[in-house]
Amino acid sequence: TSIVPFPNGNHFWTDSSPAGCSHVNGYKVDNWKQNLRVIYQCFVWSGTAETRRRKAKSCICHMCGAHLNRLHSCLYCVFFGCFTKKHIHEHAKNKRHNLAIDLLYGGIYCFVCQDYIYDKDMEQIAKEEQRKAWKLQGIGEKYTTWEPTKRELELLRHNPKRRKITTNCTIGLRGLINLGNTCFMNCIVQALTHTPLLRDFFLSDRHKCEMQSNSCLVCEMSQLFQEFYSGHRSPHIPFRLLHLVWTHARHLAGYEQQDAHEFLIAALDVLHRHCKGDTINDNGKKANNPNHCNCIIDQIFTGGLQSDVTCQVCHGVSTTIDPFWDISLDLPGSSTPFWPLSPGGDGSTVNGESHLSGSTTLTDCLRRFTRPEHLGSSAKIKCGGCHSYQESTKQLTMKKLPIVACFHLKRFEHSAKLRRKITTYVSFPLELDMTPFMLLYPYFECCNASTLESGHYTSFIRQHKDQWFKCDDAIITKASIKDVLDSEGYLLFYHKQFLEYE
Amino acid sequence: MSKDSQMRAAINQKLIEMGERERLKEVLRAKLVECGWKDQLKAHCKDVIREKGLEHVTVEDLVTEVTPKGRALVPDSVKKELLQRIRAFLAQHATL
Repeated sequence: TSIVPFPNGNHFWTDSSPAGCSHVNGYKVDNWKQNLRVIYQCFVWSGTAETRRRKAKSCICHMCGAHLNRLHSCLYCVFFGCFTKKHIHEHAKNKRHNLAIDLLYGGIYCFVCQDYIYDKDMEQIAKEEQRKAWKLQGIGEKYTTWEPTKRELELLRHNPKRRKITTNCTIGLRGLINLGNTCFMNCIVQALTHTPLLRDFFLSDRHKCEMQSNSCLVCEMSQLFQEFYSGHRSPHIPFRLLHLVWTHARHLAGYEQQDAHEFLIAALDVLHRHCKGDTINDNGKKANNPNHCNCIIDQIFTGGLQSDVTCQVCHGVSTTIDPFWDISLDLPGSSTPFWPLSPGGDGSTVNGESHLSGSTTLTDCLRRFTRPEHLGSSAKIKCGGCHSYQESTKQLTMKKLPIVACFHLKRFEHSAKLRRKITTYVSFPLELDMTPFMLLYPYFECCNASTLESGHYTSFIRQHKDQWFKCDDAIITKASIKDVLDSEGYLLFYHKQFLEYE
Repeated sequence: MSKDSQMRAAINQKLIEMGERERLKEVLRAKLVECGWKDQLKAHCKDVIREKGLEHVTVEDLVTEVTPKGRALVPDSVKKELLQRIRAFLAQHATL
């Protein structure tokens, strides 16, 4: 056996497998493999109409007729029995048939071991039969954790340029030269190259370019990831990236300092447009509809914002849902009044955010964002129910949060005379619990925090689980969690925890 | 068998025959992962195992301890959606 370490901290034992048991030896005689396949095809994963009809009719307990109760089939004879009511156990004891199969999930139970067992050969058959049946029914592939193949391990062993990821290694970290007020671009590049899902997409070479010219921004991103993970420690000079951005987002061209948030949205937009080659919908066909795009950018960054407008007279609700890539949050200290919150009000410690007495938290901002707002008498809307203009309230809810949620703190106020920066400190947590705001999926982890101070952008990025680094153009330094949490956040990126990859 | 369980069995048969049961199972599984249910239950399983001791815990222990919590933690929105899908399916194949 050999151990191959991988970036997510797992190790893969290559030759051993989960435990089988010796009691299967009695079963593994004659044509057992074919017999087992037939059982899987007929009673567990029935892919054809005929096998499904048979399964529907025959899969009931031979003792009580129930179809629920964790039905199992005996492996030695045609007998179906409930597991919950121990009907299959009785059969096993009476007939000395010591193996049964769970008809719901295909697991093999050994009555001697009194446990589910995982025999390598049987597991292989189960996997193949499930894949066959799902393919026939158009369900798609079952999620399994990735494991390297023998060939892949061989390649790794023989390649002198392989990189070993340990908890202390700094691979993936590289500074970026400032090309003349381009720190706004640099901090977004750092944020994107350290978004785990985006990194995995590019490092596994998933982009298939369909653009004729050399101006594909997705290809350039791919190249950027290669640079970041090359192991070179010298800062990278992103002149090609800058040129491509100027080409595709003219409003950002020029050597003036731009807004990092504007750059983020422009970059995501161009990447999304250039991802056409990678867009595949459920039927495996290329999607032509830009509104139902399934590109990596949409998969990672696109959320849905629901707006409900309630007529104050008839209480009819008009709902719209719009896609979003970021949530822009108002801050206290701006000219629009912030929601008055009582000091230490309910939920103020929901996310364990540090509360220098009275300081605003990210959760406060989110609460304000989702509170119902009374649209005054000067902003009446035409109510479909009342057929006239009425006063209404409007409320925003995050109907669907993307995998990576970007929160933009609106620190810049433009009035007729000047452009003002709101420097109010807003504390933000490492772990964000979204349950006060939505029904599904509570936990997000902060993965990047960009800040703007004295006209200069820097960003904090998260490496491995709990190491943070400050990226200041070409200079990367180790940062403490306190450094991150004390910073004046401008753009905050939160990554969903616990995911399956498709 | 009562009228109720007869109806249940008939619906179950139809769902299996048309392959809908397998599809629904996969939809449900994906939703339960997405909303964090799987991880909550996984954590609960680990607690039960720790409590009973790794050498002594049985599948039965886990099923008994984890099932009620698992049922209670399914979000209402997920239940509602599954129910809607089953209803729509039955409306389409209503020869029961």
